[in-house]
Amino acid sequence: MRAPTIAMLILGLGLWGGQSLAQPSQPRYSADGLYNLANSYARAGKPGLAVLNYERAALLAPNDADINANLEYVRAGAGVRPEPRNRIARVAEAAGPTASAWAGVLGIALLGGALLAGRISPRFPWLRFGGIALGGALIALTVANAMLLWPRMHEAVVLVNQTPARVSPVPMGDTAFILPEAETVSVTAEHEDFILIRTRAGLSGWVARANLGAVVPQAR
Amino acid sequence: MHWSKVFVAMLGLLAPAAYAMAQAGLAYETIQPEHIRLGESATLRVTSLDGDLPNVPLPVVSGLSFELIGRAQGLEFVNGTSIPSTSILIRVTPQMAGIFSIPGLSPKSEPVVLDVVSADDSNPSALIKPKPTPTPPLVASTPLPKGVQLKAGGGAFVQLVIPTRAVYVGESVPVDIEVGVRPGIVTSLNGLPTLNGGEFTLNNLSRQPERRDKVIDGSPFLIMTWHSVIAAVKPGDFSLSVDTPLSVKINTRSAEDMAFAAWLGGPFLQSMYNGIAPKDVTVTSPSSELKVLPLPAEGRPKDFSGAVGDFQVSSDISSTRAAAGDPLTLRLHVTGVGNFDRVDSTMFDHLDHWKTYPAKSSFTPGDAVGYKGEKVFEQPLIAAQPGEQSIPGLDFSYFSPSTQRYERLRTSPLKVTIAASLADSSLSAPVQPRSLHGASARRSAPGLRPDHPQPQSSVSGFTPLYFQAPFLAVPAALALILAGGWFAVRPNPARASSKAAARALAQLRAAARSDDSSSFFDVARQVLLQTFAARWQMSPDQITVADLRGRLGAAGEDIERLFAIADEAKYSDHQPGSADYQRWLGLVRGQLVGGRG
Repeated sequence: MRAPTIAMLILGLGLWGGQSLAQPSQPRYSADGLYNLANSYARAGKPGLAVLNYERAALLAPNDADINANLEYVRAGAGVRPEPRNRIARVAEAAGPTASAWAGVLGIALLGGALLAGRISPRFPWLRFGGIALGGALIALTVANAMLLWPRMHEAVVLVNQTPARVSPVPMGDTAFILPEAETVSVTAEHEDFILIRTRAGLSGWVARANLGAVVPQAR
Repeated sequence: MHWSKVFVAMLGLLAPAAYAMAQAGLAYETIQPEHIRLGESATLRVTSLDGDLPNVPLPVVSGLSFELIGRAQGLEFVNGTSIPSTSILIRVTPQMAGIFSIPGLSPKSEPVVLDVVSADDSNPSALIKPKPTPTPPLVASTPLPKGVQLKAGGGAFVQLVIPTRAVYVGESVPVDIEVGVRPGIVTSLNGLPTLNGGEFTLNNLSRQPERRDKVIDGSPFLIMTWHSVIAAVKPGDFSLSVDTPLSVKINTRSAEDMAFAAWLGGPFLQSMYNGIAPKDVTVTSPSSELKVLPLPAEGRPKDFSGAVGDFQVSSDISSTRAAAGDPLTLRLHVTGVGNFDRVDSTMFDHLDHWKTYPAKSSFTPGDAVGYKGEKVFEQPLIAAQPGEQSIPGLDFSYFSPSTQRYERLRTSPLKVTIAASLADSSLSAPVQPRSLHGASARRSAPGLRPDHPQPQSSVSGFTPLYFQAPFLAVPAALALILAGGWFAVRPNPARASSKAAARALAQLRAAARSDDSSSFFDVARQVLLQTFAARWQMSPDQITVADLRGRLGAAGEDIERLFAIADEAKYSDHQPGSADYQRWLGLVRGQLVGGRG
């Protein structure tokens, strides 16, 4: 198999992938639209819904300064402790998820192409090593981005103030602790109309599904 | 009564008292305080004045616990003379209210009496403490209740007060149990009254009865009254009575002696009982007849749970406005009088547009025995869809003894407004506050950064590309193609060796052209050794002359000669002619390309 044939294959595969992802579907979201929606909720005095939509906007545009600033502002106003982010997380989330995904594909192509070229011909070794290094770095960036984003895929925001977290998934279950509005929690399990959540402080309890908004809405 | 009899009686009474007082000079037993509340402790002191007080066994009295505190030495002053004394201190803690007689712990000591009242009694000393002024009497003297007789030597009576009407099976019937005791004669109550007859259940008998003093037939009595509720388990005509365990000092002296002692006063009367050990007896009340009717089968509702009494119902809901998915609590209040333990309601098993959960109940009694009160059933409901919802009324059935038929009550329907769930409406804009001109207020709240311009690009979902299955097919297919390519373009050893041979021959030609014999033969030897080593699967250092001759035959000799010339050229500066270069070049080419020269 010759190198031009492989290049054609890669190009064809990329076109197919792009075409499949470019299929129009409803509804459509944008970071700016979600940010504006969150602002309107913040102005309406609904910090839970505001934080939820800021979180969703930040998912699409993690480096948008306005989104992060307003998110922290609304959280502070609701009395919720802001979420600390370390430098590694900021670097890994420098690129958006979409760009990271395509960077990963490019990394696989570079890494594989360089290895394949070395197998075909030993010439231009510096070019091959450069391709391997760059491809590996892009793949690592994508993997780190995905690992940081994975927990946020299973997060939810408390929409109702003084939401009780119960010890069992029934409405008459004893209250274990109270959650403030706009608190972001991790979803660990679900049972009928209740969701088992875990707070950043490590507390677990069952919360009525209606009192929570998932950062990534489940498909219905 | 003759004066002689009076004199003899006085001698008879004073003699034991004088003997006891003489003995009391050697050892005696006191308890302080004599009247305590439940939860407090008293100290029992056993004192000896003769200097010899051996260890005493702790007494055993039902309802009291004893704990040895220690010993004490001291002086007692008797008629101005100090006498050394030895005491043993014992802490006495009651577990129940009552009048307790603690027997003497040494052969020389007398029993002592401890009165224990309930913790909430305001004045514990008021029960049996002798009144300093007997006139005017606190209560008027009354006769014994009709049909009741004094028992236990005239020291106690028990009475069961029940309604005279017929009752129904399961109906809660309030009853009173009255126990009258004469303080000083009845030393302790050894347990709660118990009902005779297995056809009835006695509920909610409190441990602390109501207490009052009463003079009955001229004698002071302490009346203890328990209020309770009984319920019949089957129909029929029954006879009920109550047993009460007591400890009583039963006096065997004649009625005349007792009457004379009573005439002399309380201390003399009490002295008649001082030397008598208390005896455990059970006093039974007179039997009371009760007719129990069965509940009628006619007209019995299907949801009848056994509630008998007179009840009222109402219902409410925790909030009349909520969002879909919010838990609401529907409450059914049942108030009135009756057997609340049989009052039950399953509320709603199923309700359209609502998710129902099992109900739980709680009872708040309105009296001490739970005959009156309120039972509340709480059922969590979750609205499944938004809109105006109507919760139908709740039914409750019971049997009324007053009307002697089944009654059915129904609460009013409840209207509830259910809004869309917050989570569902999170992606729709809230109602914007409007300015005076009707335009949407776009002003940011203080500290809030302004809105962004309308977006130009959008995505179909929040799930990042690398978590979407269609996209994951792209890198997966790419990786598969590259892996397939890796195996498909396996390197060709023949082509690699031919390229290496071509490079080596080019080097040899260049060396021949420049007449560099040392480089020519050195390169030729290296190339040949590497070729033979690869061909024979051995190291170049291990190739010997014997290998060359044995494996190459005649060509081996030429190769051997070439290696010798290479050594000469390297160490003796031998310069072969151009014809020699071509010859050796042909030999090397033959080995590299042809395999054999």
